[in-house]
Amino acid sequence: MQLARQLGFGQMPGFEQLRRLPLVLFAALYTVITGGPLLWVATMSLRTTAEIFKSPYGFPSPVHWEKFVDAWTKSNYATYFWNSTIVVVIAVALVTVIGSMAAHCLARYHFRGSRSVRFLILSGLILPPQLLILALFQILLEMNLYNTLTGLILVYVATHVAMTVYILEGFFAQIPQDLFDAARMDGYSDFEIFWRVTVPIGMPAIFTTVTLNFIILWNEFLFAVVLLTEDDKRTLPLGIMHFTGSHQLDVGMVATGVMIAIVPVILIYAFTSETIIKGMTAGAVR
Amino acid sequence: MAVITVYKLCKRYSGASAPAVDDVSFTVADREFMVLLGPSGCGKSTVLRMIAGLEPITSGTVAIDGRVVNDVPAKARDIAMVFQSYALYPHMSVHDNLAFGLRRRDVAGAEIERRVQSAAQMLGLADLLDRKPHALSGGQRQRVALGRAIVRDPKLFLFDEPLSNLDAALRVTTRNELIRQQHEIGTTSIYVTHDQVEAMTMGDRVCIMNEGKVVQIGAPLEVYRQPADMFVARFLGSPPMNLLKGRLEIREGRTFAVLGGAAVALPQRTESSLAMHVGRDVIVGVRPEDLYEVAPPGELASMATLPARVTTVEPLGGETLLVLSLDGCSEEVMARIGRHTALRRGDRFDVTLDAATIHLFDPAATKAIV
Repeated sequence: MQLARQLGFGQMPGFEQLRRLPLVLFAALYTVITGGPLLWVATMSLRTTAEIFKSPYGFPSPVHWEKFVDAWTKSNYATYFWNSTIVVVIAVALVTVIGSMAAHCLARYHFRGSRSVRFLILSGLILPPQLLILALFQILLEMNLYNTLTGLILVYVATHVAMTVYILEGFFAQIPQDLFDAARMDGYSDFEIFWRVTVPIGMPAIFTTVTLNFIILWNEFLFAVVLLTEDDKRTLPLGIMHFTGSHQLDVGMVATGVMIAIVPVILIYAFTSETIIKGMTAGAVR
Repeated sequence: MAVITVYKLCKRYSGASAPAVDDVSFTVADREFMVLLGPSGCGKSTVLRMIAGLEPITSGTVAIDGRVVNDVPAKARDIAMVFQSYALYPHMSVHDNLAFGLRRRDVAGAEIERRVQSAAQMLGLADLLDRKPHALSGGQRQRVALGRAIVRDPKLFLFDEPLSNLDAALRVTTRNELIRQQHEIGTTSIYVTHDQVEAMTMGDRVCIMNEGKVVQIGAPLEVYRQPADMFVARFLGSPPMNLLKGRLEIREGRTFAVLGGAAVALPQRTESSLAMHVGRDVIVGVRPEDLYEVAPPGELASMATLPARVTTVEPLGGETLLVLSLDGCSEEVMARIGRHTALRRGDRFDVTLDAATIHLFDPAATKAIV
């Protein structure tokens, strides 16, 4: 009975349901717009390019599972995947450690010049990446880091610290000062307090930034395409682009490549989403 | 065990016009329970935080056992503190919350376990050791916060309004529990509160603060009975002391406090010290419990009566509060009388007051006379 009422079937069925109608329509439309293309790519990933050109919206029959094996073995896809994994895992780890430490300091300590430091870091948020790219290209070239994964990692770290600090500082600032005072009375140093109090309590926010940074960097194209030119250095987004060369357009393989590429993103989200949601709904840390 | 000496302590925040703590000095004896009492914003918590080492000292000194600790970091002062918010680490179990401070201090594992178990037994937390703080009630959290201080076995306990987040009933039981624990453990303690009942019942001595300054230090009943100034007089006691404008006059060789139309003869033992105030305005302070509907038997000598009209009757069950307007006085006064009174709103009667219990204050300096 209560459930029925919650769903809108109650004393005033007509009016309540009418009021919900636009919301339901909007949700349905949104699902179609976002989920539809994904589903389409998923079906294409199991069909050959010839089949796709014959009937773009058809269902896979027969189902070409072997395309996934082909994508992995017959092209450089395994290398691209491995490159992406190295770059993104190391970059996200560095961004998380540096970003959370910076956020802790900005949220906890009011030192001379702290406002300027905050402004300097957060101003990174407003710079469009296109603006940096020539300068970065020049710098990496001079430092012998052009065309290296290390160079790309450093660029990713530098460009994503700002957002990480922005998200984490807001969360860390809400942790009651008493907890830090209590830890100081318990004999812990500032650095120990960061690791033993801020990090465990801020874990939901840290997971949020890890997930966000992972997704953004996993799909990053602009810096990668400018700063990496050798084929065996390429990351996944560049590799997928490779299927659409100048003299061929293998739509089916692109779809298969995309489906392989989104697996890690889905896994990351599956593992962290519960913590993220728990953190958002639990709200109070007291 | 420790003696704490606070000497000429000052705290000035940058940009603030007045200092938050101004020239505060007191000594807490070994095993003593000192209460810092005052309204919110009077600087009492700042004093506590400076003793703890959590707040930099602008000037003055804090000494533990004679050693000035101004430059000693909080972690090296061997002080444990119980916070108003309890400040339990939300990601740790009760057990780990209790053990957290000991682990840092290189206490052996077996010893940590022994102390945690013994504190848990003492505070009735033995069954809750695996729980996280969010799964505890307010009272249980409060006990964990206390346990965290006890296991450390520090030189000094600091309490920053530890009971103010509890509901009224729990506050009374926890208060008694705290008093018992402190007597058992005997560690020197400084307790900050704005609740005068806590101050009166818990403290060996009370240090009353207002606007960053110490106003009076003494045993609870001593400061209640002999308030140093009008602030202390009003701050201690509920309902607070009545303060009435009056005038000292000599009539027939005796000193009288003239209140509106009535005159109250003051006890002769105080007369000599009142000489310089004769003929001047004074503030007359009378506690609500020192006003009677009918004069109590046996104390007739110092009793005086004042004609009054009842403006409001507040029956509280155990007692009744009357708001009275005295003839010729602009201020209303509160009287705490027996629960069996038949007085009603609008009734006129002669309220009896014991002149021996009157307090006199200088209206300009607000300090107590006598």
